[in-house]
Amino acid sequence: MHETILSVGIDIGTSTTQLIFSRLTIENLATSYTVPRISIVKKEVIYRSDIYFTPLLSQTEIDAAAVKEIIRSEYQKSGIRPGDLQTGAVIITGETARKQNANSVLSTLSDMAGDFVVATAGPDLESVLSAKGAGADKISQDNREVVGNIDIGGGTSNIAFFQKGILRGTCCLDIGGRLIKVENNRITYLFPSIQKLAALHQIQIQVGDTADQNKLSRICDLMAQQLAMAIHLEEPDAFHKELYTNQGNLLPSSPTLQGITYSGGVADCIYTEKPGDVFQFGDIGILLGRAVKRYPAFSKIRVYPAAETIRATVVGAGTHTTNVSGSTISYASSRLPIKNIPVLKISAEEEQEPGLLQKALQDRLPIYETDGAMEQVAIALTGEYHTSFSQIQDLAKAIIAGAGSVLATSYPLILVIENDIAKVLGNALNYMLERKKDVICIDGIHAGDGDYIDIGEPVAAGRVVPVVTKTLIFNS
Amino acid sequence: MVNENDLRTIIEQVLADMNLNSKDGSSDTAAACDTCSSKTTIEEGFIPDVTEVDIRKQYLVKNPVNKEAYYDLKQYAPCRLGIGKAGARYKTDPMLQFRAAHSAAQDAVFSDVDQDFIDNMGLFSVSSQCDSKDVYLTRPDLGRKLNDEAVAAIKEKCKMNPTVQIYVSDGLSSAAVAANIGDVLPAIEQGLKSYGVTIGTPFFLKYGRVGAMDQISEITGADVTCVLIGERPGLITAKSMSAYIAYKATVGMPEARRTVVSNIHSEGTIPAEAGAHIAEIIKKILDNKASGTDLKL
Repeated sequence: MHETILSVGIDIGTSTTQLIFSRLTIENLATSYTVPRISIVKKEVIYRSDIYFTPLLSQTEIDAAAVKEIIRSEYQKSGIRPGDLQTGAVIITGETARKQNANSVLSTLSDMAGDFVVATAGPDLESVLSAKGAGADKISQDNREVVGNIDIGGGTSNIAFFQKGILRGTCCLDIGGRLIKVENNRITYLFPSIQKLAALHQIQIQVGDTADQNKLSRICDLMAQQLAMAIHLEEPDAFHKELYTNQGNLLPSSPTLQGITYSGGVADCIYTEKPGDVFQFGDIGILLGRAVKRYPAFSKIRVYPAAETIRATVVGAGTHTTNVSGSTISYASSRLPIKNIPVLKISAEEEQEPGLLQKALQDRLPIYETDGAMEQVAIALTGEYHTSFSQIQDLAKAIIAGAGSVLATSYPLILVIENDIAKVLGNALNYMLERKKDVICIDGIHAGDGDYIDIGEPVAAGRVVPVVTKTLIFNS
Repeated sequence: MVNENDLRTIIEQVLADMNLNSKDGSSDTAAACDTCSSKTTIEEGFIPDVTEVDIRKQYLVKNPVNKEAYYDLKQYAPCRLGIGKAGARYKTDPMLQFRAAHSAAQDAVFSDVDQDFIDNMGLFSVSSQCDSKDVYLTRPDLGRKLNDEAVAAIKEKCKMNPTVQIYVSDGLSSAAVAANIGDVLPAIEQGLKSYGVTIGTPFFLKYGRVGAMDQISEITGADVTCVLIGERPGLITAKSMSAYIAYKATVGMPEARRTVVSNIHSEGTIPAEAGAHIAEIIKKILDNKASGTDLKL
């Protein structure tokens, strides 16, 4: 059994806007004598758009109409219609996500880009997507090493690292090729933190200055040094913490990084020497690439070629956001797809004891009320502690007792579980609720508190549903 | 030619030598016995239980090239890999584990399902035409036929013409029945109830082969018959169970008309989840009025 899902990835970054279409192949890996095990077995990018400069109305506003026109024309060129798509992600990344109208741009595009396409952003997610697009996770898994990726874009550098293919941490800092812009040999834009970084090292620079290549190279060296600190190749200095986007956290210092890939627009200037004018892109991208390449600390670890460089994030968004659920699940198909459902994660401690679980639900569900009315919410559990039939009954009873406020609404009762118990739990809930309430109970999915989840229409003869879990739409 | 006298001399000489040797030998034996009879000391403690070892976590190769990578690989399945060797042979510990697993497999075949367990599950017992494990193992044909008492008991106690007839059978592993039925059976029942499907009277068949379901289907007149039966044990687990399900099974029908769900045990498909899955399959079989290769799942 083969089935393909068409997925779109749209990335609106600080400097570039891109789109890709990819084809995900799903297959039942189990024999026909056992319970099915349906997985995504192949991910291919089937169409890559041109790379456009992100159209901006001003430094703080995205030109939504122009972005929409780019996407529309690319759909036309590819011959793929929004209705052909089953999944995908529109993602606004880097500094662009901080623009005033980012959210409205997302919703405009999300409606146009197909029925089940999610709008998402957030620096942590971007770090993971670009690293997966660059293939750092796969190198780490294949070589059994700790491998990271630095996606150096226009406004931010997104870092994610993996140990044997498992994500170990992400961070995002304000280091990028377009934090200083150059036109007609003059500096036309300067990001405040970079100005401050330079000043701390006695380099004075202002908008309107002549673009002095030596001076800018020295600033790029400082930026490269900050990146080396971020991946713990050097001790962080006092200023380092200030560079983190949205006061984000540093990367965990263990396990120790053994290899690295580079992605993002600047990566092309690290892997290959760009001939011609260093300011040909109107920014310091080429100088920053050279600075990273020559910075001594980076020679301590192995540099791997990236599967994608400037397209890493969009490829990640188009091919690595969608998972499929476990193959024995329970759902009310009339309710799917559902989008942007906030996740309430029950802690392991609360989950073990039905009484505590019931109380946790009763205490925490009111958070999802707006003006006294309950909104849709997905309850996430590990499912590790209730596997026998009688334990499942206890679990179902506790959920029903605790989620009374959800049962009172017209929304379905949504449960997202890691361990393979969703079908029996769904049956127990349906039985106890006498099928008077729609229940969506899926497994094989890990979701954390504060995540949002999208559940698509069933595929593979209704056995599985595509699922996208996302971190917060916007870090404010 | 050797004459008789010479021969006699040679034999005497040989006997004398042997005597001498046996004298030496007996003194050796005596010395050895002195030590062995000296004292038996009783130590506290016990020999570690070899079956307690998790073989996914045991890695015994000496001087490995990449122990970590091999260890990671072992986590995918409980196979006997990376267990080292002593010369051309197994090491002691894997050898003992192997024999313990083999014994568990034999026990699973040769022991009976505990009657208390069958009673607690609310099942009545009937038997095939086999009257012992030996007959059961040597006469598969008899394991597919019910004895007269069984036919009578089913006619008397079971609801006739049910939509679904489920029963449990020991098959080749009594341990599988004991380990899984408590979770699988109620999960199937609950699943079918939630689909609004009614179920006949479940029971237990001793010394049963899969094919017995055909006769049971004919007796009860069920639309769908499902047997939960112990699988032939392997050396990984002796507790794996299968469900064989057929739409309107008849004696002599092709084997291809059975749908099977196998590998139900705690390390395979979680029993309660398997039960829920089987309920759905039964629902699909009812909806499509077909099973086995006639039904595309």
